[in-house]
Amino acid sequence: MEQQQLLDMTAKLEALEKSLSMATTINAEVFYWWCTALMVAIHAGFLAYEMGASRAKNALASGLKNLLAFAFLVPAFYYVGWWIYLSFPAGLTLSEAGAAGIPWSTSMGPNLTDQASGIFYAAFTLFAATTASIMSGSVIERIRISGFTILAVFLGSVVWVLGASWGWHPEGWLTTQWGLHDVGAAGCVHTIAGLFTLGVLINLGPRVGRYNADGSVNDLPGHNMPMSLIGLMLIVMGFFGFLGGCIIYTGDTWMTIYNTPTTLSAFAFNTLMGIAGGMIGSYLVTRDPFWMMSGALIGVISSAPGLDVYYPGLAFLISFAGGCFIPKLNDIVVKKFKIDDAVGAVAVHGFGGIWGLIAAGLFASGYPNVSGPNVSLIGQVESAIVFALLGFVPGYLLSYVLKMFGLLRVGAAAELAGLDMAEVPVRAYPEANMPAFVNSATSPAE
Amino acid sequence: MNTAPITTWEGAEAYFTFADKPGILMLFTAVGIALCVYTIYSMACHENKAYKKK
Repeated sequence: MEQQQLLDMTAKLEALEKSLSMATTINAEVFYWWCTALMVAIHAGFLAYEMGASRAKNALASGLKNLLAFAFLVPAFYYVGWWIYLSFPAGLTLSEAGAAGIPWSTSMGPNLTDQASGIFYAAFTLFAATTASIMSGSVIERIRISGFTILAVFLGSVVWVLGASWGWHPEGWLTTQWGLHDVGAAGCVHTIAGLFTLGVLINLGPRVGRYNADGSVNDLPGHNMPMSLIGLMLIVMGFFGFLGGCIIYTGDTWMTIYNTPTTLSAFAFNTLMGIAGGMIGSYLVTRDPFWMMSGALIGVISSAPGLDVYYPGLAFLISFAGGCFIPKLNDIVVKKFKIDDAVGAVAVHGFGGIWGLIAAGLFASGYPNVSGPNVSLIGQVESAIVFALLGFVPGYLLSYVLKMFGLLRVGAAAELAGLDMAEVPVRAYPEANMPAFVNSATSPAE
Repeated sequence: MNTAPITTWEGAEAYFTFADKPGILMLFTAVGIALCVYTIYSMACHENKAYKKK
């Protein structure tokens, strides 16, 4: 009798354990599913932001670029990106774990015994598309869509994800050897994309009319600042998906990408305080709503590496500092070096990411890593240099090759006429150019 | 065409179409990559033609 009761209890316990394990798996899938959905808001945001920042004659061409980057990144990341992430945590030597990321692996499709690969592929694909969107704003109004698409695919499916494998992976060598701590992907996403963009801008050159013969700069205002501001706010919203996707859900706890324990609460505290710090700092130094919203991005990026460990009041100050000095760095890029970055992405993302990495070295040194040495300033600085070079060198070289083949920049006549007129079969604002009498003649009778 | 790699759901693992035929999966991959490359080529041709009109 007692033995039978014991057997029944054991069976019940096994069933409960199985049920709990299944619930954990499903919760993880649901969590990353919605993080991925939220990240789509980043792309809606970049779309609105960049169309608004373009002059009316280029609005649709700017948007088309964003849509194509998103569409091409999805298959490109499936074909090579996920394999690169799994294959190269040790540097340039191939890891056996990469086999699971080959497109014809049994993990790369519906599989009842693998409920992680698809959902992580999806989240990483949206990170990849974010890198392309970071570049796309800077190059508006004069880049060829074909050249841009090639650059976006290379950045999103090869360059940034190699950086992620090195520094945003539990076994990435930047962490195991130098103790890199960058839980919010400031280095592999923002620094790499920002510096890649700098390399492209050097070869692309400024828009016609941006600089005068005496070196002074002309403002080329976009046609719809309110649309840009709404776009930037959408990006901020999408960052909650992005940063949620930076945390590993295990069922009984949350972990960072480096397998150190954390909580969603930690991320919530510091993300919000970071956003606010960046916005207020940028407002203080510019009084410009465009830079204030770019300041929100600067704030998130500045605090991203230490979101798990910062005191929220410290995150606010780090982001406030970023919000104050990053717009000044943009002035140096645009005015002193004559690099026409139309939306300031090199400074916001590239330099913002570097600031975030250094700030974590200054204010989070001594925190232990699971694999590798403790977090240190020198490890953070060295890692920032690696990310900067990994972004800049491929961006410069590939755009140089595209330039040689005439695939980088549109012709002068098309640029003056507007890219919408030149290559987009529909008009953004068709009624805007119609004479008044035509409008009244075609108005329906009241 | 029988594309199913399984004959029963009992003990099924990878169950997507052609999961047991890596050669076919490689072919799909190659065709997908080729289509992407062709579309970018077509994009460049469209641009060249459009810019000549300006």
